[in-house]
Amino acid sequence: MDTRLRRFSTNGMTKFLAFAIVVLALAAVVVQIQYAEYINGNVESLIVDNYIDSEEFYYGQVQNSLYRVSRAIEEGEEVEGTSDCIYFAADKEKTFGNTIWTEREFYEQYGETFYYLENGEWKAGENANPPRQYTLVDNTEAIAYVAFTDEYMAGKQVEWEANRAVLKPLALRIAAIVSLALLLIVYLIWATGRKPDDRELHMAKIDAVYSDILLALFLPAIGAWVVSIGEFAFSRNRLFDGLGMNEVFSMALAGGATVVAVAVCGVLLLSLVRKLKAGKLLKHSLIFVAFAASYDFFKSLFDGRRFKGNTHTKSLFKRQWVFIVASAVMVFLTFMFLFMSALPLALLPPIMEMMIIYWHIKVNNKTFLEINKGFDESLGEQMKAERMKIALVTNVSHDLKTPLTSMVSYVDLLSKEDDLPDSARDYVQILSEKTNRLKNIVSDLFDLAKSTSGDISMEMEKIDIKKLIEQTIGDMSDEIEKSGLKMKTKLPENQVMIFSDGKKLYRVFQNIIDNALKYSLEGSRVFVELEEADGFAVATVKNTASYEMDYTADEMLQRFSRGDKSRSTEGSGLGLSIAESFTKVCGGNMKVIVDGDLFKVSVSFQMDE
Amino acid sequence: MDNAGILVVDDDREIAGAIEKLLESEGFQVQKAYDGKEALEALVSGGIQLILMDVMMPRLDGLSATLKIRESRNIPIIILSAKSEDSDKILGLSMGADDYVTKPFNPDELVARVKSQLRRYMLLGDMGNGSKANQIAIGGLLLDNDAKQLTVDGEPVHLTAKEFQILEFLMKHAGMVFSAEKIYERVWNEKPYSVENTVMVHIRRIREKIEINPKEPNYLKVVWGIGYKIEKI
Repeated sequence: MDTRLRRFSTNGMTKFLAFAIVVLALAAVVVQIQYAEYINGNVESLIVDNYIDSEEFYYGQVQNSLYRVSRAIEEGEEVEGTSDCIYFAADKEKTFGNTIWTEREFYEQYGETFYYLENGEWKAGENANPPRQYTLVDNTEAIAYVAFTDEYMAGKQVEWEANRAVLKPLALRIAAIVSLALLLIVYLIWATGRKPDDRELHMAKIDAVYSDILLALFLPAIGAWVVSIGEFAFSRNRLFDGLGMNEVFSMALAGGATVVAVAVCGVLLLSLVRKLKAGKLLKHSLIFVAFAASYDFFKSLFDGRRFKGNTHTKSLFKRQWVFIVASAVMVFLTFMFLFMSALPLALLPPIMEMMIIYWHIKVNNKTFLEINKGFDESLGEQMKAERMKIALVTNVSHDLKTPLTSMVSYVDLLSKEDDLPDSARDYVQILSEKTNRLKNIVSDLFDLAKSTSGDISMEMEKIDIKKLIEQTIGDMSDEIEKSGLKMKTKLPENQVMIFSDGKKLYRVFQNIIDNALKYSLEGSRVFVELEEADGFAVATVKNTASYEMDYTADEMLQRFSRGDKSRSTEGSGLGLSIAESFTKVCGGNMKVIVDGDLFKVSVSFQMDE
Repeated sequence: MDNAGILVVDDDREIAGAIEKLLESEGFQVQKAYDGKEALEALVSGGIQLILMDVMMPRLDGLSATLKIRESRNIPIIILSAKSEDSDKILGLSMGADDYVTKPFNPDELVARVKSQLRRYMLLGDMGNGSKANQIAIGGLLLDNDAKQLTVDGEPVHLTAKEFQILEFLMKHAGMVFSAEKIYERVWNEKPYSVENTVMVHIRRIREKIEINPKEPNYLKVVWGIGYKIEKI
């Protein structure tokens, strides 16, 4: 298909417009039909040219009149109500009519609308349509004439044509609107689920609803529409023909109800169409899903697939079924023999059952033992792996530190050589710096490895975290002074006791403050605060970063992560990771918050009263 | 003391060689041994005043060798080990070692520690056990209350009046932990108010003067979150 046309036809706006037009068109049809109803339009006038040939006349007037006259003769009473026809009837006892004329000739002059009763049967006049048989059994000698006057028929014919003049344009309009709506519905069915950008089928949110629920939703939508149409459009007592305020209001309500109903049904229908296109109309229904799930569940009870790959449990599972079936057979046989009164034979199945039970227990016990053995083995292996991991950390640590010791020592010796050229002295200086950094990284790395693997000895005691923070700041006062930053502390008056490992907690705060000193904006302030909240002691260190922190708090704590702009030659990049890991082993919780240039680390511990 | 004999025991020949050069440049006589057994044999030949001992070695490890040596000799032993856990240090010191240095070590610090041990062994050793009246001796620290004088391994150290008073107070109650408030009360004779920082800064200054490595002090320790103490040695 032409791409431009495709782009247009699959455009969301186009589809929405088409949908809206369908909704409005169908509402318009309903309102038009309602209007036709209000003006008492008879649709038959569109097809039948002459009133005299119409069903309306035939059934509504002719048959009706014949019936009533017949009834009057049978019951011996007057004709009920008024009648549009002229008639005369007589039997042995009485005569009645609504004209002064009693002769057949008078009535016969209206040949096309003349009917007469003869030998208990109604006959039509020369050119009249034959009446439906209506036989009078008891009054076979009665006579009756029925006719419609020419003046009456002429008046009716005028009315008939006027009616057609009004209905014809209305009908054409309805036909046009309906065909437009049908065309658009076909278009919508084609276009739904398609988008201009690709050839995929796109599902909408409502398509997640199961198909049968969608189908069921048609019922309330259509039901509500039928009820409200009945209420708004046809319940009024139509004493007056034509339109009054009441009728206009009713038409508006009926139109509104139709808009709602068509919109809802349209959404449901299009959803079903999309699901049909995607080939999951049936599969994605509640009944299908529920059936499939329960089928799968019951199947899983019997096919043993839950034990796939576990030979021991699978054999237990199979044996269980063998046992149940065999036992059931034995019970059945016992009862059978009992009913047959074959007592000696009835003893046989219980004996066999006992053998089956013995076999079942014996073989199962063996399997249980094997399962236990496997379990113990895997537990042992797990513990071995754990021990190996710890040993690995220790050994790698030793293997890294030994060559590092040589490097540090020989670089130191080299730097003490007197007759080195200046360039060599520079190189040695660089070597010295790098080996020192390597030393720090290795040391930090193993601190971290140990604390995260849990292989770390703790000395937990009651300590004052306020004091610890003050001590740490005092211990670092040289570094703080050198950094040129201002340290602002806000600590509570009295002590704040927690249960923790003081030496490790000192490392935590040392690392956090050290981090703040290294990466703060020159001349800015570092805030150290301690608060008590809900039984927790919360220590917070806040600083303003000297660079843009374009990474998240989580990334911050990842080992070795450091802002690119902040990368320098010192430090291992593990400071905050160690702080976090140590906080955890000390029984606390550390959080990092990055808010613009504000960097905030908070450490919280449960207070020990 | 300058040409004292030192035995370096390490199975890593490069490290032993580096330490040899390092100590020789300081004027010491250095002998090398590559495992515990060789170390014991080297001791027999004499002329050794201090041992630097690695821990993880083939044949006989450093801790066992230390135990063996302590059966007969009172010679200073400094353990040099890649194991840096507190528990490793405590184990080493309880086996009879006098000091514990972790690898990779700072060469200058190692030399300082060797000199410290030698001074204590050679100079203070013959001063005998009893310190005079009004003197407190802890490890290599000797505080003379009459002369208001502190020596570390025989070397006089200049302390300010407050520093001296703090050290005197802590040394008198060696092994006991005191809060900053308590120390302030006793030394400043004033009601303590927000004194943690003041005391901590003093403690740090004292440490810089009496400790070889102030970051890993032997004598004056901070008990984090509680107070300060002088280790009872």
